[in-house]
Amino acid sequence: MNSFNILVGGEAGQGLVSISHMLIKAVAKQGWYLFAQQDYMSRIRGGHNFLRLRISETPVHCCERGVDLLVALDQQSLVEHQRELNRGAVVIGEAQLAAGTGQGDFISIDFAEIAVGQGQPKIMANAVAAGAVWAFLADDLTAIEDVIRETFAEKGEAIVKGNIKCAHAGFELIRGSGKELARLPKPQARGERMVLKGNDALPSGALAAGVKFMSAYPMTPSTGVTEFIAAYAKQCSVVMEQAEDEIAGVNMAIGAAYAGVRAMTATSGGGFALMTEALGLAGSAEIPIVVINAQRPGPSTGLPTRTEQGDLLFAVHGGSGDYPKAVLSPGDVEEAFYLMGAAFNLADKYHTPVIVLSDQHLADSYQTIEPLDPGKVVIDRGDLLFDAGPAYQRYQYTESGVSPRLVPGFGAGGLVVSAGDEHGQDGHLIEDAETRNEMMRKRMRKMDGIKAEALDPVAHGSSNPEYVLIGFGSTKGAVREAAGLLSQQGHPALAVHLPQVYPLPDKLREIWQLPGQKWIVENNYSGQLQKLIAMEFALVPDGSVRKYDGRPFFPQEIVEQVLKGGAGR
Amino acid sequence: MNKLFAICRETAWCPGCGNFGILNALSQALDGLGLEPKDVLFVSGIGQAGKTPHYIKGNVLNTLHGRTLPTATGAKIANSGLTVIAIGGDGDGYAEGGNHFIHALRRNIDITYLVHNNQVFGLTKGQASPSSDPGMMTGTTPWGVYNEPFNPLAAAISMNGSFVARSFAGDQEHLAKTIQAAVKHPGFALVDILQPCVTFNKINTYQWYRARVYDLNQDPDYDFTNRRQAWEKSWEWGERIPIGIFYRSERPTLCDQLPALKNGPLVRQPIPCPNIDQVLAQFR
Repeated sequence: MNSFNILVGGEAGQGLVSISHMLIKAVAKQGWYLFAQQDYMSRIRGGHNFLRLRISETPVHCCERGVDLLVALDQQSLVEHQRELNRGAVVIGEAQLAAGTGQGDFISIDFAEIAVGQGQPKIMANAVAAGAVWAFLADDLTAIEDVIRETFAEKGEAIVKGNIKCAHAGFELIRGSGKELARLPKPQARGERMVLKGNDALPSGALAAGVKFMSAYPMTPSTGVTEFIAAYAKQCSVVMEQAEDEIAGVNMAIGAAYAGVRAMTATSGGGFALMTEALGLAGSAEIPIVVINAQRPGPSTGLPTRTEQGDLLFAVHGGSGDYPKAVLSPGDVEEAFYLMGAAFNLADKYHTPVIVLSDQHLADSYQTIEPLDPGKVVIDRGDLLFDAGPAYQRYQYTESGVSPRLVPGFGAGGLVVSAGDEHGQDGHLIEDAETRNEMMRKRMRKMDGIKAEALDPVAHGSSNPEYVLIGFGSTKGAVREAAGLLSQQGHPALAVHLPQVYPLPDKLREIWQLPGQKWIVENNYSGQLQKLIAMEFALVPDGSVRKYDGRPFFPQEIVEQVLKGGAGR
Repeated sequence: MNKLFAICRETAWCPGCGNFGILNALSQALDGLGLEPKDVLFVSGIGQAGKTPHYIKGNVLNTLHGRTLPTATGAKIANSGLTVIAIGGDGDGYAEGGNHFIHALRRNIDITYLVHNNQVFGLTKGQASPSSDPGMMTGTTPWGVYNEPFNPLAAAISMNGSFVARSFAGDQEHLAKTIQAAVKHPGFALVDILQPCVTFNKINTYQWYRARVYDLNQDPDYDFTNRRQAWEKSWEWGERIPIGIFYRSERPTLCDQLPALKNGPLVRQPIPCPNIDQVLAQFR
């Protein structure tokens, strides 16, 4: 067995978040690799939420189908996930749930009662559950104890000791049951790693890149980014102002960026729709902003807490008229961190909006990675002036299309006149055809530079493939593992991930020259990446795998679709 | 007095437009305050009023229709050293941007907001505005306006706006003096400006206003720190129309409350954040 899959399910408000946190941190501390996916409903209490936690001694890039250990905090968790149990799987939960188990060994464990039995409050049932799970993974509780100490340090020694006591009680109960699961090999060495989710990586990357201003209106699944920046407002000397709507969110960022600081906003599809007019303003007035769109299934408010890649063409084409832009699509937490730096650099170098496409799957999924290195984040603010005389013109015609940008309020009399209405080199309004043409060409020339530095595709797998699987954004891990599974099954495959979808990198044409069938894998109904590639490069794939039920791909699903052949809808 | 803010370009306005009076008063006010154009940022939206910044010396950010205030707010937060003056019409501020108006009042962001309120849509050629008087016949209200007019002063006073004033485009001295007080006020300063539209508003003309306006601050009994009195005064409209400072209060501005600005204007702060290692430490 090379990975171990745990599913913890329960109602919102039952402590799932706390149990998840303890397990994720402890698994990482133990030196294993993990991928953890959070599935939750759009409600505050009740419903059915779960954590899928995949643990391995080697790096894992997504969750896989099947469950080895099911922790059922309620009946619904059994009903929903029973059919996913692997051979030899174990289910743990309160005694009254036993009647519902069809397969798998059931171990009765009343988490809350045990906590109370230890003389602790009911809420410490969470620690009992974490300790119980740990008994299937390791011989000692050190990692869980460490996490408890870190998590509850501020709440005092009594709370720390109580939680540790409860974790031990859960741990001992499972050990006493004599039930064992095929254990994962003990990690070789406890590597210095980090564990974080996309909504940690994106704002951390923004802070490392020097963001000074953010304004946003909360919208799932982007809200984590906004709250993260707000939490560090003091420590990192950055402003996060909650906007009255997404329109204000993006326009405040535009105002701040005009005034010279790195500025961003974050939203999801519906909010992004409200922002599109302002994206055009940033394009026309040549103001650098970064917009994170954490996609969720649409149309309209769609499925608020679930995942989709249905805003790709919208991100590429949103806004009236033509203006230069770039759209980046990080595929994992590490890329999410470093691409924020790239996004701010592109915005600053080309004075135009840059959109970072995230989605619920990237936003909320945890991964273990090698430590992030802020030293690797290069800050390039482009042609930014802090001094200019009265002759300064904001939109001076240049060969590259990039006109030196003066920070207003600095310099010897230079004034910064910017407008969204069509304007001349001095920024004042014009209506004549000649200036319009010159200014349009000046702006659009910037696309040449943006294209020339488009991020290359990231490929893993066979150099002589039978299948080439191409995706963007958060499908990266599942596509990579699907290619691995195909190769293992005797069909050499190559996984190609696009960290930038607009403009598309020319390297993609080269990849298309490789042997083998080209398949596009995407989390949307209409095949938006497929359409974009056809539109930009006139290339048509041999097949497509699509999913639009609001859930991320399992690699096995991709393999099945590809081997079945034909369009996967 | 040096005329640093002198009107510098040919305008796109109708002859006799109320905007000329506002432009002249603005330039007079800023010269009187001893500001330099490079330290002033004019942010405007769309409409004939939104073109104003292009005709006066200063930094300009001419944005979308209705989005004047959020854009000005972002700019002020990024460089609190700039004097930020937001300029728009009644359509821009009270229709398209109504939500932002409410929240700018809440934030008490230290900017001056000049609203050229001509009670009609000019640039789109004569439709009703949120402040049109009931009964006004326009292209979109052929049977006359039937909605209650938006009262920006009452709304601002209700929201405890920290500086609420009205002036008249036909009284340059009063307007210049009011703009100066607004710019000097630490906080969000609304100046609603009665502006005749010579082409599309045949009701609220120069003569109509001149026969009605009076300076309420000439009355020694009027106390502009009295919110209740100010609110009542804001409903006086018809035979007599008050102009002047209706209401003033002192409360912290948005920039006063942002911890990052304790380290000086954001735009002058070094990047990246020196504490990024502490941020990342939580993921270990």
